[in-house]
Amino acid sequence: MLEKIIEFANMIFDPLIALGAAPMMFILLTIFALLMRVKVGRALEGGLKLAIALTGIGAVIDMLTGEFAPALEDFVLATGIELNITDVGWAPLATITWGSAYTLFFLLILVVINLVMLVINKTNTLDVDIFNFWHLSIIGLLVMYYSNNLLLATLLVTMLGVMKFINADAMKPTFNDLLDMPESNPTTTTHLNFMLNPVIMLFDKFFEKVLPFLDKYDFDAAWLNEKIGFWGSKFAIGIYLGAFVGILGQQSPQAIFSLAFIGGVSLELFSIVGTWFISAMEPISQGITDFMGKRLKGRKFNIGIDWPFVAARAEMWAAANIIAPIMLIIALFLPGNEILPLGGIIAIGLTPALLVVCRGKIMRMILIGAFMVPIFLWSGTAIAPFVTDTAASVGASPAGIEEGALITHSTLEGPVEKFLGILVGQAGEDFSIGPVLTALGAIAAYILLFIWYIRQMKKRNKVYKEEKENEAEAV
Amino acid sequence: MIKILAACGAGINSSHQIKTAIEEEMKKRGHKVQVDAVVIKDINEAMMKQYDIFTPISKTKFSFDITIPTVEAGPILYRMAAMADPVFDELESVIKKLNK
Repeated sequence: MLEKIIEFANMIFDPLIALGAAPMMFILLTIFALLMRVKVGRALEGGLKLAIALTGIGAVIDMLTGEFAPALEDFVLATGIELNITDVGWAPLATITWGSAYTLFFLLILVVINLVMLVINKTNTLDVDIFNFWHLSIIGLLVMYYSNNLLLATLLVTMLGVMKFINADAMKPTFNDLLDMPESNPTTTTHLNFMLNPVIMLFDKFFEKVLPFLDKYDFDAAWLNEKIGFWGSKFAIGIYLGAFVGILGQQSPQAIFSLAFIGGVSLELFSIVGTWFISAMEPISQGITDFMGKRLKGRKFNIGIDWPFVAARAEMWAAANIIAPIMLIIALFLPGNEILPLGGIIAIGLTPALLVVCRGKIMRMILIGAFMVPIFLWSGTAIAPFVTDTAASVGASPAGIEEGALITHSTLEGPVEKFLGILVGQAGEDFSIGPVLTALGAIAAYILLFIWYIRQMKKRNKVYKEEKENEAEAV
Repeated sequence: MIKILAACGAGINSSHQIKTAIEEEMKKRGHKVQVDAVVIKDINEAMMKQYDIFTPISKTKFSFDITIPTVEAGPILYRMAAMADPVFDELESVIKKLNK
């Protein structure tokens, strides 16, 4: 049965795939938007923007890796430090993921799951952050990379999706507290980076019990951010790293400048191209929200948007700025790491979760963040072959560089989930007993930790509620 | 021309959604506006002074005082007209007061 479905799907998809990612996703996204009753013009606009974003991101990756690869080789020769994987940051990975037709499939599955959970009252969160569905899709794609098993991939994506919606509800009172939002404000987020909360909470409990005096050293984050100014901006970081690679790779002064400026311009261009493809998703996001809204009239919701509303808290940036140089040093000496941090060095895949769990206690955020860095680097290293292959299959692969050059994102959201994806994928390769038991064990541990975390959050939420009630009585 | 500064966390997703939505809606209502999207952490006092209105995604603290009118634009991201309209109404009334 499953084989027949796959055969049928292949019959339709093979000619589409043969067109290449950009034309394929232009056609598929436009059709998908039309199915969601988006107007023809808007649907076409979205499809076309996705196609140019895919093409654009490929061009920038080409430029960055093409320029950096030879210098990185010299860097390795000169220093003995093997950091061969180029860190391209989030935008290329998002684009590559949205270049796969399966992402639309996982999107559909997750929209259905969200709808079902809302109807049976297992969540209050309506997810309207359609763009970020790629975070779960990439985990599904990872399972398929190892096992070519769509069913397993769908099961894992479903499990993580369910947990994400539960987490979005659990975090809501903390957001109200951190951002001074009234109860009536429905903002929450379903972003994958907050699935790191359970691990961070383990560390946070440790700090609370063993090192509570640390909180006395908290400082004014807004002041620090202002002092750092443009020195912490994207282009500046690109310039430092280009110069860093050039100098340690013993390049000529001319080449050092060139690497510095290429680094700077690449980081700026990645986010510019990133905005194209976020606007490409605009019509379909609206279509899906309208579709869900119509079916759930009169229900009170939390609304899950992207994480940036928490960026109003200066601690998030202060922690990211301080963790960046720490990450560079860790990367140089961490066994098993092969990434030279570049595009992902400002760890916005990490600091929002730190902010939520530690509630702005900056010293804890920085210290726990430093402990999280290796998880991200190892995870980024582990997925590099998959990312590079997938980039090649959607036509965003670096051209004109050495065979074997790899790309990745050093601080990609969901590092733990990436390992789950790999383990599940390896188990699905031939279902031999060892890998299957490993995958099951890892999933069991993941779920247990999550349950513990949700209990902690419920305790926290009860305290928030009591505080509110006391305040109300006092008035 | 009213200049509006939209700000979000990464300067990539949310602030651009806010920018697009404000530009479209204000055009519909017959106001000429230009919206720039930036990362919250890149905002300094000098940058803020170049704008007439500030539309952050949520309540934001800076090390300096904000001297221009502020309209919180987060609800635009909910994608529901009933929730976004109050933001647009408030914005429109601020624009009218500025009378540029």
